[in-house]
Amino acid sequence: MDKHNQSNKPQDTGHEWDGIRELTNPPPRWWLISFHIGWIWCIIYFLLYPSIPLINGSNEGLLGWTQIKEFKEAVVENEAVKAPYMAKLKAMSAGEIMADAELRNFAESAAKAVYGDSCAACHGAGGEGAEGLFPVLADDDWLFGGDIDTIIETITEGRMADMPAHADMLESDQIEKLADFVVALPRGEATQEGWALFEEAGCMGCHGDNAKGGALNDDTFSGAANLTDQVWRFGGSREAVLRTIRYGVNQEDIAETRSAIMPAFGVKLTPEQIKILAIKVHAMGGGK
Amino acid sequence: MSGEKPDEQEYSFTVVKWFSLAAVVYLVVGALVGDFIAWELTFPELNFDNPYISFGRLRPLHTNAVIFAFGGSTLMATAYYIVQRTCHVRLWSDKLAWFTFWGWNAIIVAAVITFPLGLTQGKEYAELIWPIDIAIAVVWLAFTFNFIMTIVNRRVSHIYVANWFFLSMMVMITILHVVNSLAIPVTLTHSYSIYSGVHDAMIQWWWGHNAVGFFLTAGFLGIMYYFVPKQANRPVFSYRLSVLHFWALSFGYVWLGAHHLQYTALPDWTGSLGAAVSMAMIIPSWGGAINGVMTLSGAWNKLRDDYVLRFLVVSLAFYAMSTFEGPVMSIKTVNALSHYTDWTIGHVHSGALGWVAMVSIGAIYHMVTKLWGREIYSVSLVNTHFWIHTIGTIIYICAMWVSGIMQGLMWRATDDYGNLVYTFAETVSAMHPYYALRSIGGVLVLLGSLIMLYNIIKTISGARQPVSAAAEAKA
Repeated sequence: MDKHNQSNKPQDTGHEWDGIRELTNPPPRWWLISFHIGWIWCIIYFLLYPSIPLINGSNEGLLGWTQIKEFKEAVVENEAVKAPYMAKLKAMSAGEIMADAELRNFAESAAKAVYGDSCAACHGAGGEGAEGLFPVLADDDWLFGGDIDTIIETITEGRMADMPAHADMLESDQIEKLADFVVALPRGEATQEGWALFEEAGCMGCHGDNAKGGALNDDTFSGAANLTDQVWRFGGSREAVLRTIRYGVNQEDIAETRSAIMPAFGVKLTPEQIKILAIKVHAMGGGK
Repeated sequence: MSGEKPDEQEYSFTVVKWFSLAAVVYLVVGALVGDFIAWELTFPELNFDNPYISFGRLRPLHTNAVIFAFGGSTLMATAYYIVQRTCHVRLWSDKLAWFTFWGWNAIIVAAVITFPLGLTQGKEYAELIWPIDIAIAVVWLAFTFNFIMTIVNRRVSHIYVANWFFLSMMVMITILHVVNSLAIPVTLTHSYSIYSGVHDAMIQWWWGHNAVGFFLTAGFLGIMYYFVPKQANRPVFSYRLSVLHFWALSFGYVWLGAHHLQYTALPDWTGSLGAAVSMAMIIPSWGGAINGVMTLSGAWNKLRDDYVLRFLVVSLAFYAMSTFEGPVMSIKTVNALSHYTDWTIGHVHSGALGWVAMVSIGAIYHMVTKLWGREIYSVSLVNTHFWIHTIGTIIYICAMWVSGIMQGLMWRATDDYGNLVYTFAETVSAMHPYYALRSIGGVLVLLGSLIMLYNIIKTISGARQPVSAAAEAKA
């Protein structure tokens, strides 16, 4: 503590605390100048932007900036880029858009984030679905129909399948036999006895005389699955099929029932967004 | 001018010892919880579907453990240490000091119990439920009162600059904590804030930013103002600089909270005011960093072998960097990009790991040798700690910079058609490697804190002989 900093022996304040002294050096010149600039900056900023609270609201600011104005300008700028396409998108039907190469490109670009943020959580980023839980979009098996207008309807209105629980309606050996039949069907091993039971139990009422489900039979219930293919909505094991027959789909007050609810996106998305989503889904797995 | 400096034995140091040890333990705990939740973000399976260890519950445990358990214990240890040594007088009341020690630790235990149970007020850095809030106010006022009474009893004519900073912290944190925590209790564990909507948000961030400004900045500048000149054995560079930056920070900081709420329902003027004053705070903040660094001029050679000084100097570098970064992030155009991204997390940690932790670690290494009168058990372990902590911090900050800026750019990216390029899920998966990198940075910080704990336990358990009288006299 005998030697001071540098030359000229800077003075200290004459105080000492636990051996610590303070020098009387002035703050560095650049620091002091910047220090004042900081306050001048504040005053300039206060004049440029709304920042001074007055009795009735704040000062307006010389730049006329408000955050809502900035937001609206950004929206206008973005919409100007999209406007020509959006106008056509609005005016044209989904079928016409699919036939127009440039508009289809636009629709594809516009659908990506909408699909990713609204659909992918259940149906998967590539439409691969989730086994037993959410249907695959990237195949040509449609529960409610795969033509573009039906897809638009599905997205807008949502869907809720309805299959009754058969645990109390049928004998348990009948249910076992039905499950055997359903598992055997896509393998081409269905028996006459099975077909007879299928009719007797009333399955044909929804799944159709040929068991090909709602979408392929105009006269049967929409949403009933095609039982003759290898595509399984709730799993194709005998156990899984048994559970579906016993407890049905979307049956209230039955804990084991299958849940299959597609929400209505008409309340969340614009008609144009739904249109482009339908085009995307249509293209994924072979729309009709 | 200065009163007679009393004998070391006249000071009340036992409580300081306990607070110092507690600080090191809480550093380990805070880093452990922090790194665990960093891994949870990298691999969400790590929550094992157990609600008690899910990210949402452990995150406030981490922030409270580092800010209030580690930071608070460090502040109380150093404030009690510094106020006695720079007022040349014993603590006003030993009993009150012990009350603050046990009270503060009881609050920390209560936090450890309530957060995993999901009991929270839902206010950032003020999550603790209302009965604990009251306990905090009581203990904090006891701490403040004891500190002020010790200053009243001082045997020197002037109050040392470190104590100004501690005082400003005590006054402001009392006001901020009480006002932000005002609530109407409905049960023992639940309450409703008396503010609603955007007022609640504004009051919350007025508190939130000043927990940083007065708890983590003013308090730790107090630490800096004692330990840097003491360790370097140099006089403080400029008294005038310390006056200027002290008052500028004290008056300026309280306005900054609004910059956390730009582009929200908060009125335009409030956000602009916060942003303007934020920019004006760069130079006052640097005043502290400059005063610390210039104090070392002529003593730079000491950095070569003074392990404590190294922590202190690097902490000042991080302090200068993060007090520049923060104001930049408050500028509207930058804020529009950085808000809600990992950049904010990176910024907070350059302050927390770089500035607060390093200045505390330096101060604690210094105090431990003085309090127990022993050389540190292993200087090479301190050096290992220094490097491992510095590298871990840099990895953490860089990972969050890249991740945060990428996240912000991906959110707003549009293609030639004006459509969004990325889905939200894509921005999340793009961040995965940086989350892993951040977790690795955290492992290094955690390892460093474990090394520190080991080294300090070995030191005080007497693995090496006490410092000789001759060595003491030299220091």
